[in-house]
Amino acid sequence: MVEQLYNAVFVGSIYALFALGFALVFSVLDILNLAHPTTFMLGAFAAYFAMATLGLPWYAAAVVAFLACGAFGVVLDRVAFAPLRRRSAPALSAMISSLAVSLIVVRLVELRYGGDFITFPAGVVPSLVLRLGDAVLEGIRLGIIVLSIVLMLGLTYVVRRTQLGRDLRALAENPRAARILGVDVDRAIAATFFVSSALGGLAGVLLAFAYNTLDSKMGLPLELRAFTVMVVGGMGSLPGAVIGAYILGLGEVASLVYLPTELRDAFAFGLLFLVLVVRPTGLLGQRSADRV
Amino acid sequence: MTRLRLLGAALVGAVLVAACGGTSTPGASSTAAATSAAPKADVKIGLATAKSGAANFYNPQQSNGATLAVEQINSAGGVNGAKLQLIVEDDGSARDQGITAFRKFIEQDKVAAILGPTLSAVAAGAHPVAQQSGVPVIAISNTGLGIVGKCDYGPCDWIFRASLGEQSAVPETVKAATGKLGLKKVVIIYGDGKFELDDLKIFKDAFAANGVTVAKEIAYTAKDVDFAPFVTQAKAENPDAIVASSLAGPAGKILDEVAKQMPGKRVIGGNGLNSAALLSNANAGLIVVGTAWSKASTDKANTDFIAAYKAKFGNEPDQFAAQSYTAMIVLADAMKRSGNPTDKAALKKALEGTKDLATPLGAFSFTADHDVKQPTFVMTVKDGQFTPFN
Repeated sequence: MVEQLYNAVFVGSIYALFALGFALVFSVLDILNLAHPTTFMLGAFAAYFAMATLGLPWYAAAVVAFLACGAFGVVLDRVAFAPLRRRSAPALSAMISSLAVSLIVVRLVELRYGGDFITFPAGVVPSLVLRLGDAVLEGIRLGIIVLSIVLMLGLTYVVRRTQLGRDLRALAENPRAARILGVDVDRAIAATFFVSSALGGLAGVLLAFAYNTLDSKMGLPLELRAFTVMVVGGMGSLPGAVIGAYILGLGEVASLVYLPTELRDAFAFGLLFLVLVVRPTGLLGQRSADRV
Repeated sequence: MTRLRLLGAALVGAVLVAACGGTSTPGASSTAAATSAAPKADVKIGLATAKSGAANFYNPQQSNGATLAVEQINSAGGVNGAKLQLIVEDDGSARDQGITAFRKFIEQDKVAAILGPTLSAVAAGAHPVAQQSGVPVIAISNTGLGIVGKCDYGPCDWIFRASLGEQSAVPETVKAATGKLGLKKVVIIYGDGKFELDDLKIFKDAFAANGVTVAKEIAYTAKDVDFAPFVTQAKAENPDAIVASSLAGPAGKILDEVAKQMPGKRVIGGNGLNSAALLSNANAGLIVVGTAWSKASTDKANTDFIAAYKAKFGNEPDQFAAQSYTAMIVLADAMKRSGNPTDKAALKKALEGTKDLATPLGAFSFTADHDVKQPTFVMTVKDGQFTPFN
């Protein structure tokens, strides 16, 4: 039981880190960045490159991946979103152009590393196993849970207490008014993409460390979950995304424990349905002005 | 407006000229071929394989195996004086693209026979196309149910299979594992794809036949991220071993979790665990799997194949290379015996007569159902290599 609870919190943390980046871009700019799963995958491969090719230790590789994915996010915005924003293209165009970038990047990664999954060189990912009686708690997972919570608190602090956070909230409210009021809109958008993508990439690195496995399609299973998490939590609400992620993680594991395994997805998505019926705006859904 | 019309007329004219040119050139060359009797026309063979999509990691090995075989056959004089010509098309790991590739082979290239496609799910769409047109097919990597013998889409007597099916490999694996590990109780963790569900059924039958209890069956889906909860559930049953009815990616995660949560237990699997990508997994030593090919086999046909493959491509062949190579050898052998390689009915009959042909997979025959009859190699992993389990 302790083990399954631990498993649920772990998987919830990964969902939360992933969904946060997704929700951040949506809340500030009202666009669904479909390249987010690709950023997640890119983080894992950036770390792999840093470790296998540059010979860096795992913690340095995680930092490299964090920065590389943040930079990728900024470039992604300049290439896929900024030109559309300038001519006020509909939101659908942004989804399609991010999907296109996604396909290109996945193919490039496959050209370099192949389509099959790969593993980190033996022994480079630390393994530490804690035993509580009969229960096995893996150290790296504990580290990931703690790090996720720290990062989420950090993001909340940035959004609520700093000048950048105030700029982002102004931007979410009304980009035009924000610009008139002296907010450096371009800088705020770049920062949004940097933070969003860096978090997504870091989630990818952490998951790859936990399984010692990475592949070019590893982001896809998280995409649908991130949507679910955002809808449950309230579209674009950051605390909502975190709460939604942990609810989904707990729900998935609980249904595995208590229900026949075939009904697991029905349970998770039944939960989603229930939330939508009871609270169509999601658990913490608010007007766009308040949601950042 | 007039200018536009002129331009349009010019374009139409250009297209017409190009089209006529296109048809006249091959016509001329074929007349030339018919008058000069000496070189026989090439015998075309299609290979549909996953160069892109979900199963793209079976390439380039699958293409390489067939290419090597064609080269060797041609340099040894071809088939009854005619050279073989291999045409490779991407099946995209997708049913529709597989069907398109098969149609192109049959209608445009007029091939004598087809190898492929890579995945069983794609084969379920593409094979009926060849069946309807009466073109022999050898499946080189489809291990699921209903590929040969009794097929969902009706008669499938033009389809042959050179890839060891799970109905043959899994019972051998279960028998060997039960004997060596003294199994009484197992838990099966299975995925929700066609391959995994087929495997689940075959595993359950095989364990029942060996008097082993399946204490629990735990399903995961293709979009599951974390496998720790599944293994934790399995551990609660205290089984003697875990069975992973899964593809290689999830299998790697199951292996790691079993090593952590249930040290000392083995992971028995179907063909999904028979993957070179798993060899680098630190816990690959837990694997027990039945395979169609063993690198360690010392048959001359096998050692020659490995040496030739290494010389040509500079890396080690895997099972998928061995199977596509073997299928091509089997096909060429049947073509020689049929007398006329392009007579499809004669080729089908000759394929049915394949008996104990020496191949890298061992002595190779087709059963009455057109399925492969060959030895099963039950393997585990040691030092990053598949090695015999017994």
